[in-house]
Amino acid sequence: MSEAFEPVTPLQTIGHATARVDAIERVNGSAKYSRDIKLPGMLYARVLRSPHPHARILSIDASAASALPGVRAVITHENAQIVWGSGSISGGRQYSDPSKDATLHRRYIFNNPARHVGDSIAAVAAVDRHTAEHALSLIKVAYEQLPFVLEPEAALADAAPKVWPEGNVCPDFRNNLEPMVSNAGDIDAGFAAADEVFEGRYDTAFIHNAQMEPRCALAHWEGDKLTLYTPSQGISNCRHDTARDLGLEDHQVRIVCNYMGGGFGNKNQNQDTDLIAATLSKRANAPVMLEMSRREDWLGVHGRWPTVQYYKIGVKQDGTLTAMQMRAYSGMGPYRKNSGGLSGMEAYACEHRARTIFPVYTNRTTSGNFRGPSEPHGFFGIESMMDDVAFRIGMDPVQFTLKNMLRPTDAQPFTNYSLEDCILRGTELFDWSTRRQAIPGSDPGAIKRGAGFAFMMFRAGVGSSSAIVRVDSKGHYTLFVGVTDIGPGAKTTMGMIAAEALGVPLAQVDVVAGDTDRCPYSVGESGSRTTIMTGYAVVEAAKDLKQQIAAQGMPTGNAVLIASATPQPTTDGKSRQCFGAHFVEVEVDTQLGTTRISKYVAVHESGRIINPQTTRDQIRGAIIQGIGQALYEDLHYDPASGQPLTPGYYRARHLTHADIPPIEVDFIEVDDGYGPFGAKTAGEAGIIMAPAAVANAIFNATGKRMTSLPITRNKILEAHA
Amino acid sequence: MRALSNINARSIAEAVAAARQANDAGQAFAFSGGGTDLLQQIKDGTAAVDVIINLRPVTDASQITSNQTETVIGGLITLTDLAADATLAQRMRVLTEAAASVATPQIRNVATLAGNVTQRPWCWYYRNGFQCFKAGGDQCYSVNGENQQHAIFGGGPSFIVHPSDTAPALVALRAAFDVAGPSGNRTLSAEEFFVLPSQNPARENSMLNTELLVGVRLPTPAENTVSTYFKVMDREAWTHAEVSVAVVLEMSAATITSASIVLGGVAPIPWRSLEVERFLSGKTLDAATAQQAGAMAIANAQPLAKNRHKLPMTSAAVERALLRLVPA
Repeated sequence: MSEAFEPVTPLQTIGHATARVDAIERVNGSAKYSRDIKLPGMLYARVLRSPHPHARILSIDASAASALPGVRAVITHENAQIVWGSGSISGGRQYSDPSKDATLHRRYIFNNPARHVGDSIAAVAAVDRHTAEHALSLIKVAYEQLPFVLEPEAALADAAPKVWPEGNVCPDFRNNLEPMVSNAGDIDAGFAAADEVFEGRYDTAFIHNAQMEPRCALAHWEGDKLTLYTPSQGISNCRHDTARDLGLEDHQVRIVCNYMGGGFGNKNQNQDTDLIAATLSKRANAPVMLEMSRREDWLGVHGRWPTVQYYKIGVKQDGTLTAMQMRAYSGMGPYRKNSGGLSGMEAYACEHRARTIFPVYTNRTTSGNFRGPSEPHGFFGIESMMDDVAFRIGMDPVQFTLKNMLRPTDAQPFTNYSLEDCILRGTELFDWSTRRQAIPGSDPGAIKRGAGFAFMMFRAGVGSSSAIVRVDSKGHYTLFVGVTDIGPGAKTTMGMIAAEALGVPLAQVDVVAGDTDRCPYSVGESGSRTTIMTGYAVVEAAKDLKQQIAAQGMPTGNAVLIASATPQPTTDGKSRQCFGAHFVEVEVDTQLGTTRISKYVAVHESGRIINPQTTRDQIRGAIIQGIGQALYEDLHYDPASGQPLTPGYYRARHLTHADIPPIEVDFIEVDDGYGPFGAKTAGEAGIIMAPAAVANAIFNATGKRMTSLPITRNKILEAHA
Repeated sequence: MRALSNINARSIAEAVAAARQANDAGQAFAFSGGGTDLLQQIKDGTAAVDVIINLRPVTDASQITSNQTETVIGGLITLTDLAADATLAQRMRVLTEAAASVATPQIRNVATLAGNVTQRPWCWYYRNGFQCFKAGGDQCYSVNGENQQHAIFGGGPSFIVHPSDTAPALVALRAAFDVAGPSGNRTLSAEEFFVLPSQNPARENSMLNTELLVGVRLPTPAENTVSTYFKVMDREAWTHAEVSVAVVLEMSAATITSASIVLGGVAPIPWRSLEVERFLSGKTLDAATAQQAGAMAIANAQPLAKNRHKLPMTSAAVERALLRLVPA
């Protein structure tokens, strides 16, 4: 089955577990995060937020706030009408400028009507935080409360309150209020060919990205040039979006992000904090720091879209899929910041398929990209469904998968394909045949053991970024890349790739990153792309520099040699994917409702691993988030009032260290000849399978199919009542 | 967050004087032991405070003293120090186990016993600023709302659950509560100290707002007393009990001569399960007894729409707590 690739062994620098180049300053506290930066005369800003899920602002009187000593600027929807990002129709096109002009539904930094609890109403800049908060309490807002809707299916009922006048199906790029439809083959013929047809309903909760560092921004104008110190998953995109939103040219905006405390998709593009701080700073003629509280961060930004998924699957007696049908609803909150998509079905080979996904407006907090935006909830749905189908026709789910998973074809070749290797390696490492209960729920006693499995493939395409590398006469190299380190260690990875490509030790390479005035374009820390895209540019720039050195010799005196590259790599029409398989053993206490994970094996093929230390941690961290989604996290709303009840780490039940099980991570390494030294994506891959694998293990242990995330104690106990 | 002032009290007497002064001046004030919860409530806007009376400088209320008849524990002892006391761990294990189960090590390092016993409820509605009974309002939003975590015993008109871990252990140990205030000191039984919402829906105990809990008095347990605290949590740390059970048993060989069974997380006060206590008296402590006790514990429960899962959970918790104490 395995293709013939050279065995992957560590290179000079790449492939060796390497401590982060900025580990010491991060640990000893000397690293300056955005919130740590202070400028002379800096003001502090706070934001007034809607207490209502849906309310028209009849009037705002900010005169008392403006008159309060120490207050330097007050802005509201009346005097600061700035569209944030692409408005409300990004639909996967979040970097698109035309979408901002086209959109029917504009999301401003301050909105009227307010469409969810926490929607921004006004902001104040003052000499200190307490004065700013006091000023907020003096702003008089007259609201007309409007009917609201919280659940996506309910929002599509004829009589449902309308979040936007045109209706609650989110419009697409052309302002059509239509679902996302993707069909292939003939679905009726597929069901007609089936021996058996099974149906299932699955739902998943809104969960917050919950990055440690709340969003913040320090804005500072020098003439017409704006500098923003802001945590960003992509300084180049943040610069472009901020310039566009404020009516500036890109070169008039400088984004600085030297250190940041995570994002998980929450800090893609620019943030309303950036725009509000910049606007207040302009009005007050002083630097303005705006930092969100934890609660504001939870309610004012976004998390993973909650979903309801209906599946109908046709299958032959021998386990061959004949038809796959899905109808789903994604709750987007009142603004469609991202697509609302659900992945997973495409990991199966089936000729006849039909998929309809409705992205739906609700009056909950906004949904958006979160590590694997469409994946873990989609894979939970389809792989739970397929686990159920395999059970009902009496097949081992691993065998069912091997029979039905997508494989390369002549029509669609892959750069390499190791999904089967991952699955088979996992079954051995985990001892699948022993740990799996042949009859689900057959373990005697109150505490029942069982095993579950899930698999995935995830895009690992290539794309364009830029890099600049310079060498001086002392043989010291400086790499300029527009990356930020959102956690995976991008600065270290870029340095390692440069050192390898240049043939010098890592200690001889300085990495300059996180500043748009010093670094060239980089794709941004989203979509697991930094290593493969910007890393590829680093390789090409290093090649150029080596050629210059070969031609001219090393520079002397004050001279330097500089090379840059903006490659446009392709995969020659082949699909490039990373692969994985997760195996989980659980112990379900059927009297207390507790699910304990007693063994977790994760096998991944992410191409060549640049830094085994940080990559392993990426997989582990992603799995921890996936377990949180599977068993713990939720943002409950009060149905009567539309108020959120569980924002924040405590009430949303994020895992503590004590909750984290041992996680074994194993890599199958392949160099497929694409990407920097054959590296593929890793950062999002680890989260995709965890909810499905955990849920399937609970079924195997208890014989009860858990169809609703998170699988909390009450759901386990209700299933056993 | 509104501006407030801080008064460092160096003794209980100073704290009481400060409270009286603030009260007479019409200021909203709050005693702060560890302050771990109070500060967050102030930030969240669920506690309106003009004056914080800081008890951390107080040195005369954090000791453990014992004589033949009783042990007195100062209310300002930290939960870490309480959990680490070797003598208590031997004689009154239920209390040290309960203290060790609270929140996180960081919180236990500063949070106090008195603060744990008197903390406000963690009901989602109350903590999110709803004007419910607990916030001085006139309704309970959980009754027809999200009541997964609410009371199955003793509810109405408020359905909060008492959030303390140490309180069920103290009640099971037959503790009395030493309260200091402007009118002097008084000692209250558990029945006098904790109040059901039917008595006063705004408060969880009978202290006046100018009074504070300065200590607890625990009668010396009989020889052959065993005890334990069993806590069901919705994660492994930093969480209040979904259900908990404090068990104190006086034993004669394998026979229970007297039992205290107090449930946490299921009622607006630490909930004594008198039926189970009566049932256990005179029984041999074994698996069958434990199972029957568990079933009996929920006989009079009145679940709400979304908290029925607390019934099997409570049964299992009682059973398992008792099984822990079965003689080897």
